Amino acid sequence: MNLASYRKKSPWILHFNAGGCNGCDIEILACLGPKYDIERFGMINTGNPKQSDILLITGPVTKRTRERLVEIYAQMPEPKVVISCGACASTGGVFRGMYNCEGGVDQFIPVDVYVCGCGTRPEQIIDGVVQALGILEKKTKALEESVKLKKEAWQEDGQLNRRNIADEIKPLLA
Amino acid sequence: MNEYLIPVLLIVLAPVIGGLVYGFDRIVKARMQRRIGPPLLQPFYDFLKLADKRQMMVHSTHAFLGIMHFVSLWFALAVLLLGGDLILVIFLHLLSTSLLILAGYSTRSVFSHLGANRMAISVLAYEPVLIIIAVSIFMINGSFDTSVVFASDQPLLYKMPLAFIALLLILPIKLKKSPFDVAEAHQEITGGVEIEYSGLFFEAVYTAKWLDYIFCYTLVFLFAGSNILLGIGLVVFTFFYLAALDNSTARVNYKQMLRFSLGVAFTLAFINLLINSLI
Repeated sequence: MNLASYRKKSPWILHFNAGGCNGCDIEILACLGPKYDIERFGMINTGNPKQSDILLITGPVTKRTRERLVEIYAQMPEPKVVISCGACASTGGVFRGMYNCEGGVDQFIPVDVYVCGCGTRPEQIIDGVVQALGILEKKTKALEESVKLKKEAWQEDGQLNRRNIADEIKPLLA
Repeated sequence: MNEYLIPVLLIVLAPVIGGLVYGFDRIVKARMQRRIGPPLLQPFYDFLKLADKRQMMVHSTHAFLGIMHFVSLWFALAVLLLGGDLILVIFLHLLSTSLLILAGYSTRSVFSHLGANRMAISVLAYEPVLIIIAVSIFMINGSFDTSVVFASDQPLLYKMPLAFIALLLILPIKLKKSPFDVAEAHQEITGGVEIEYSGLFFEAVYTAKWLDYIFCYTLVFLFAGSNILLGIGLVVFTFFYLAALDNSTARVNYKQMLRFSLGVAFTLAFINLLINSLI
């Protein structure tokens, strides 16, 4: 019996908002509702990384969420696929280059399918998931690692904190 | 020999039947929400997929407790179907639940601890009612053996209708259905005790859920005695009642659950016991 063929029939989804505007999240939840009803393909929104196969990420990665993102990705058992939902998750979108924003998801973890749109349409999400299922079937149980491993946030930020700014401004104000 | 054939078949096939019941339950629930719902064999697809995942475990005791939960639940079901002592059955079921509670406490996850706490509370909510129902059955039959109940001509339903209502009120707690699903609470604590299980070990906990369906429906079937048609009617009624209740109610918190089950269900079962002992 080829167990890999059953991966297609019960993909369990983990949905993670890496810091977006919640638009894509609402569209993902719309997929679960009566109109699109992705449960008819056996998909469940589990909310538990240890039991899920597909990681749906919305929103750009912020400096606060990047470590959580890598952590959640590491907790999912292989085989797993990652879908980045929406313009922000794929490239950073309108948030790209902002002081709190790192940009696309693929800088940190390997992404298999990119879904475009701001916010993505439910039809597009379903298309993306169907493509991801084809990839999931071919994957092996070998360990997959994140692209960028965890680093201490303060080490690579190069960002001034408020106290530093206040110190700089103080002499100017005096 | 023949009298053991059906119970043994039921016991051996219990996970398969339970899976079918669970699959059908999901379809019915989806249809009630005007969705199409997953295929009937969906639980088995989930099962086969989970077998193919990379194996991760928190620590060996945790995985072992999960598997023992499944084994002891199956054993409790076997004792119930083979006509064993009802009190023994209830305590075996309690043992299997407490193994899962211990598994919940054995990890460091906060959600796992919360789930274990809530599960212990839900045991506190339904266990006294079950014991009272067992004692009422003893008052009527003069024996705790379920074989006597299965063989009796007069259905228990007519003698103790209040106890049946009490059982209907605590079944959602036992099967973790809304409004009494605080122990699982997927939106709140993402499954509670089962959160740290993955892959092959989650399968044990997942399959134990199917066995729980068979266990609860057998308890319902007890109320029909040897009248098989009535028994099937009761089971079907309970099935749709649970699905409708699950879809139409919101989750209550554990205090409300405890107050309701000990206040209403326990009182009903106790009044029933008093009536049975007076007549």
